[in-house]
Amino acid sequence: MNLLLSTSLKCSRHIRPSLRCSATRYLQTTINKDEINHFSKLSSHWWDEKGEFGLLHRMNPVRVQYILEKLQEVEEAENTVSSSSKYLNGRALSGLDVVDVGCGGGLLSEALARLGANTLAIDASESNITIASLHASKDPLLTGPNAKLEYRHTSSEELIKESRRFDVVCSMEVLEHVDNPALFLHSCCDLLKPGGHLFMSTVARTPLSYFLTIFMAEQVLRKVTPGTHHYDKFVNSEELVNFFHEEMGWFTGVPGRLQAESRGIIYLPWKDEWILAGRNDPFTTECNYMFWARKPL
Amino acid sequence: MLRFLTTSGDNTESVDIAIVGGGPAGLALACALSSSQAIRESLKITLIEGGDLSKVRTWQGHGDIYSNRVSSITNASRQFLEDINVWEKVESERTTPIEEMQVWDGISDARIVFAANELSSVSSQPIQEMARLTENLNLQRALLQCLEAYPGVSLLDKTKVDAINQMDNGWPVLSLANGRKIQTRLLVGADGFNSPVRSFANISSFGWSYDTQAIVATLSHIPRITTEYQGPNTTAYQRFLKTGPIAFLPLSPTASSLVWSTTPSLAKVLLQSETGVLAAMINAAFRLPYISLDYLQDAILQSHSQGTPLTTPAILDEIRWREKSHGIDIQSAHSSCQPVDELVGIPPAEADLLPPLVLSIQEGTAASFPVRFNHAEAYIGEGEGARTALLGDAAHTVHPLAGQGLNLGLADAQSLARCIETAVLRGGDIGSYTALMPYPQERYFENHKIMAVTDKLHKIYRSDLGPVVWARTVGVEVLNELLPLKAAMMFQAGAQSTNNHFSKDMSAFKLLTLGVEFASSGMDLAKSLLKNLGGAANSVFQYSNKLK
Repeated sequence: MNLLLSTSLKCSRHIRPSLRCSATRYLQTTINKDEINHFSKLSSHWWDEKGEFGLLHRMNPVRVQYILEKLQEVEEAENTVSSSSKYLNGRALSGLDVVDVGCGGGLLSEALARLGANTLAIDASESNITIASLHASKDPLLTGPNAKLEYRHTSSEELIKESRRFDVVCSMEVLEHVDNPALFLHSCCDLLKPGGHLFMSTVARTPLSYFLTIFMAEQVLRKVTPGTHHYDKFVNSEELVNFFHEEMGWFTGVPGRLQAESRGIIYLPWKDEWILAGRNDPFTTECNYMFWARKPL
Repeated sequence: MLRFLTTSGDNTESVDIAIVGGGPAGLALACALSSSQAIRESLKITLIEGGDLSKVRTWQGHGDIYSNRVSSITNASRQFLEDINVWEKVESERTTPIEEMQVWDGISDARIVFAANELSSVSSQPIQEMARLTENLNLQRALLQCLEAYPGVSLLDKTKVDAINQMDNGWPVLSLANGRKIQTRLLVGADGFNSPVRSFANISSFGWSYDTQAIVATLSHIPRITTEYQGPNTTAYQRFLKTGPIAFLPLSPTASSLVWSTTPSLAKVLLQSETGVLAAMINAAFRLPYISLDYLQDAILQSHSQGTPLTTPAILDEIRWREKSHGIDIQSAHSSCQPVDELVGIPPAEADLLPPLVLSIQEGTAASFPVRFNHAEAYIGEGEGARTALLGDAAHTVHPLAGQGLNLGLADAQSLARCIETAVLRGGDIGSYTALMPYPQERYFENHKIMAVTDKLHKIYRSDLGPVVWARTVGVEVLNELLPLKAAMMFQAGAQSTNNHFSKDMSAFKLLTLGVEFASSGMDLAKSLLKNLGGAANSVFQYSNKLK
């Protein structure tokens, strides 16, 4: 544990240089061609729930759980009226404009649309969009005139050129695959309406995450195709907090629970299930974690 | 089953959940789903039943006349039924608490007694009863009434499913006998042992038939009313005979239900005999030493094969004669021939060890069904059978000796409904493998454990081999003495997780499973003893294994 702690502190001091630079905003793209090719090749496996992306299928309910819990927490802190009944009827996101950046096969996008959100899902890989659209077309709820789900082959940097802004921006397991993450984060933040919520999930850059996501998942168990993850592209939660503090100025010092938060998500192999770690559980953001930040009003 | 890809035509309706089968498990699932606000407000549910549910809807119990299909509802099942607002609709006057269970060995007479108040002494909360007996129809009617309060579920009874196919979007589509077609996001098979949904989902099942037939009947017996000298008719009795267990389940002071697992040939002959013969044999099966009971059963079989079935007076004569030779006094509680008109006032000694004397079988209630062990290899379908889930008898068929069949089905319904609700609240596709996976994770091994113990009980008690009888006798006698200690230990374990976990989950059956563990360890001991005794003993044991 000591080793883990000291390493993580070292990591947080040694911030990824790219998270600091944003001088050339929007003049360049954050899309990495190799990454796009990699995921395009795998795109036909997106909806094989026991295959390549099985772990993401299992993770999806926990991502949604976190999104809903956080939205409810913020809502209840701001309104004196309890909004809990809204979160019990299966349409918790009704009326919200949501964009899912880097939607892949649409695992999260479909869930958001089912929960009532007006969902725009975008991906830089055309074949991902094709697979995602094809899959959604099989579900009468997600097609037809009342459908709330729209897929588009584009990037966040392209989308900000339009006027449309969102209540919620989601970007799951994307940050660790982009070039120039600072630029990517900027574009995500620009897509938000004031007071909007940014939800991300990503992987920390720690010995533990190397061991679990690269050594075990890719090389030993082969649950994930080797080459999916790149250790040096992983981002620590402290780096994200620093980015929103120093770069975006969304808060000063340590963020309050209504400003930003990192929460670990932990895979339990014996149950083939992910769980959301407690808010202050130590070391839980050492591997996979959710990050949330709110754009100031 | 024909399998071809179908595209949704103009006349295909679309629902989120189609439940095939309107038995207790299917109805309970529909009720549990409807009791969730999230499901009620976002999912369209249809229940399809081939039979006529109006018979269930309009069912009325009449006085002391009871249906022959009764079930013991465990406290856990009852809690579930209370939670989904069904229990309040069950006619409680027609249900009976089981406050005590007497279980004994047909050969050695080793006896184990479970008393609800014994459990209370080590529980923080008083436990009044272990389970409650109710006619299945009483429960089914309550479930139907409950469903009618929720207009969200459409009930299609008298509707047969002609075919189940998979559409090209991967959804199952039901072709109904009335020409309607329904495509569904999730297809639930609550359609019994020969489940068509299970065959569509291409889920195989493993199991065997026990070469045993279970006789059920409603018994009229001498009244057992609370007096100074005896308690109410709230004790269940079960005697393990070599041919299978015979169980007596109390329904009212003068009526009780019978479940008697025995050989198919004997069951057939008993049901063909005069009802007086069956009544006399039931009394004898609880009372006579095994050797004589064996003799009587052979006599009945023989007389039938010779075309001269034994009459009621003849069988009573036989029983009287056998009792005399065993030295059983005709006035004693152990006699099947006690003079009925003298059975008022002070009951004979040990009367509480035996069920009250059966006087007659209620008309038209004697029937039988084959006893099976069957477990589906999966509860949720994949690939060409995706978007399917099985529950109740479609997933598992269990020996009736522990009265667990219906309870397992109710627990399935509770678990599946919870799993669907979670998926809805998380925006999941309720037909997907990911959404359904928690259901088998929660239920499969839980069911398997209970099924396996029931199966072992059946097999251990089918043997009359010396060491096996000795082992199960010692096991049961020791357990009977240690029970309060055992119960106390289990209470502590349960109390740590949730306060009332134990009282919810505790059933006499779970305690009985401990007895089986004990008995099997006794058997292991017997095994190792025998091994040391050399070749001769070994061959005897191999023979006994063959019998098992």
